[in-house]
Amino acid sequence: MKKRVLSMLLASAMVVSMLAGCGGAAGGGGKHLKILAETSNYANVDIKEAEIVKKVIADFGADVEWQLVDYNNYQDTVTPMLSAGQVDADIVLLPDQDANQTYIKSGLFTPLNKYFDSMPNFTKWLDANPVIKAEITAEDGNIYYVPGTNVGKDYQPCLMYNQVWLDKAGKTAPKTLDELVDLLKYYKDNDMNGNGDANDEIPMSIMADFLPYMFGPAFGLDLVSGFQADASGNVTYAYADSANYKKYLEFLNGLYKDGLLEQEYTSIDRDKVIERISNDLTGVAYDFSWAMSMMYSNVLPYYDGTAATAFVGAAPLSGDKEGFYVGRVELGNMFAISANSKNAEYAAKFLDYAMSDACQELYQWGIEGESYVVNADGTRSFTEKGQDNDWLQQFGINPSFVFPAQQSVASTDVLVADWHAKSNAELRQYVVDPWPFIYATSDETDTINTYMTDIETKVNESATAFITGTRPMTEFDAYIGELDSLHLPDVTAIRKQQYDRYLKALNG
Amino acid sequence: MAKNKNKTAYVEKKLPLKKLIYRDRYLLYMMIPVVIFFAVFCYFPMTGLVMAFNRYRIGSGLAGVYNSPFVGLQWFRQFFQSVYFYRLVRNTFLLQFWSLIVGFPIPILFAVAVTQIRRKPVQKTVQVATYLPYFISTVVVCGMINNFLSPSGGIINQLLNRLGVQSINFMNLPEWFRRIYVISGSWQSFGFNSIIFVAAIMGISPDLYEAMRVDGANRRQIIWHLVLPSIKPTIILLLIMTLGSMMSVGFEKVYLLYNTAVYETADVIQTYVYRQGIGTSPPNYSFATAVGLFNSVINFAIVFVANRISRHVSDTAIW
Repeated sequence: MKKRVLSMLLASAMVVSMLAGCGGAAGGGGKHLKILAETSNYANVDIKEAEIVKKVIADFGADVEWQLVDYNNYQDTVTPMLSAGQVDADIVLLPDQDANQTYIKSGLFTPLNKYFDSMPNFTKWLDANPVIKAEITAEDGNIYYVPGTNVGKDYQPCLMYNQVWLDKAGKTAPKTLDELVDLLKYYKDNDMNGNGDANDEIPMSIMADFLPYMFGPAFGLDLVSGFQADASGNVTYAYADSANYKKYLEFLNGLYKDGLLEQEYTSIDRDKVIERISNDLTGVAYDFSWAMSMMYSNVLPYYDGTAATAFVGAAPLSGDKEGFYVGRVELGNMFAISANSKNAEYAAKFLDYAMSDACQELYQWGIEGESYVVNADGTRSFTEKGQDNDWLQQFGINPSFVFPAQQSVASTDVLVADWHAKSNAELRQYVVDPWPFIYATSDETDTINTYMTDIETKVNESATAFITGTRPMTEFDAYIGELDSLHLPDVTAIRKQQYDRYLKALNG
Repeated sequence: MAKNKNKTAYVEKKLPLKKLIYRDRYLLYMMIPVVIFFAVFCYFPMTGLVMAFNRYRIGSGLAGVYNSPFVGLQWFRQFFQSVYFYRLVRNTFLLQFWSLIVGFPIPILFAVAVTQIRRKPVQKTVQVATYLPYFISTVVVCGMINNFLSPSGGIINQLLNRLGVQSINFMNLPEWFRRIYVISGSWQSFGFNSIIFVAAIMGISPDLYEAMRVDGANRRQIIWHLVLPSIKPTIILLLIMTLGSMMSVGFEKVYLLYNTAVYETADVIQTYVYRQGIGTSPPNYSFATAVGLFNSVINFAIVFVANRISRHVSDTAIW
């Protein structure tokens, strides 16, 4: 009797679970999907349990099995997996943007074009974004990846000044290199933090990687991208610009000799900059815009939430040339469907759903009433809970680790301090497009991989040597000759071919 | 006794293989895990060296290791033709060479010294204190080095300043890199590396000490004529083994300590391969394998030559 009751119970449980599996599938089917993606960059966030992520899956009706790899090790872990062909997932977040079409050519992923009839949201989005469509169309004419996007012109790396120090010095944010040098000298000679010691101020705290961002444009150089194209489509390597790059190095060498660029500038990291700012020891910084209010200003001992007591963004510096900031390629995380997937069409529908406007709103704002409210005038604002960044991250805001999320300026504006959003709006005008994302052919990849490491090694060590004076500037022409002997002309010719292809794809 | 031994050996030769196997079956069972270990982790992976001669196709899995398109010596040519080839080999060799010159004798001297301490608690404390740095992870050691040597606030530069010497930017000056690498490496490992020498010294029969003392030998003579000759085979064995890694610098430490300012003396084969072979997208595993093979061949050659020299000079050899 007991056995019979038990078996009846088991049977009914199985029937109930089967029915539950069949129900509520917006995308149809409630099929099983394996997704290989990364964890949140916030250690205390379990992205698969985040409300926004769960809602997307529930609304679509899929049964998702997550394969989440640690955010910090994603590339190191997944690249060998893909290389060895050992990926057992329907949807895969790429460890990089596959600029050389390696994964595409290896047949790891299925072309999405054959599912375009089932992907109305994605195709509509592609039509609305011709630049991105041109960028991700592979050599064979197919599109393989569904990308998330970054904001390209907003919240980009920029100069930041300690407003309290500026006011104390009776100066405004420098607009030219000369004005910056004057300001740094003033900071060096005066007791800016008022602790009675005029020697503990470090006028400027810049990580070495940001020096090209900060000073390159004043000499007409996009050292961030390395390669740059002029209006007539000529492509040059900024680090081999014999006139302007030499002036750039001479300028930095001058800063170094005057003690305005510190001796150990090559080993400055963000933690060190934050430590100095929290001790009120430094007046000028350069970093990604988000650091302005979220990392730098908030550690200043006297920050009261206003621009008057913060590290505030300012216009780029001009020198011989008008200054600019270099924007970011809008392409973000790329999602692909494994060629081995037995649910490829279903996976395509899921990615398409994840690209829908409804989902993008979820990614950017969360759930109405929970993370945001709609105001009487139709605008949105984050709730009190939503303004707590930790809570918002745990809620799953901007889940670009697992879905093709598009960053939004509007939702970021609301998230950061008012003065920060205002500063971003003012700086947007200075941001120029970076070198575009362009797929490389196999031959191009071979040549670039063969020569570029040596070229970059030469560039990096020579820059440090010229700036610190261990190599005299009289050897600059020899440096240009060395780059030529490292096959720079071959690499530049390939970049030119790629740029021409990009223009052709862009202009139809 | 010797006769009996010879007789046994003679009898063994006469036994058929099957019986020999049966007789020594337990010894053979004990061998099985070792054989499996070497087969799986050493000999089977060695077949992957074929990658050095092909262009490994990304996504082709294990089969791709063996059936990717053959490219001959392309990756070797690429490495040898690199403008940095000479510098990389020089830096790799010199870092290991100086590590050997400075780092090899210290554990021996330390082992000799520590075994001369009569009070056991003092001896143990000294030994433990010197082993400890070995267990600090490389990342932490490199962080300590950076902090201690920082020109702004590093303890070494503060001391120099007090002595009236200007701060030195140690980590940005190529001429300092090898010294920092070698000294910090020796500091970290001399205690641990001395264990084997201490064990060898402990293994010397007390009767021999006794006999020397009876003959009127002083401590210096005991060390020179008894201790050092007794541990000579151990020293030579370890020296040959160390020579086997002359071209294999620890990647992590150099990677964590170097920067663009010190490439001239700090960029080694391993860091270059990381940038060229693994750091690129897609990773060029074939290139990395080719350089690894080049390294192994050089290491093997050095061991081979060292072993030969040792056999001629001291009658001690690994094989």
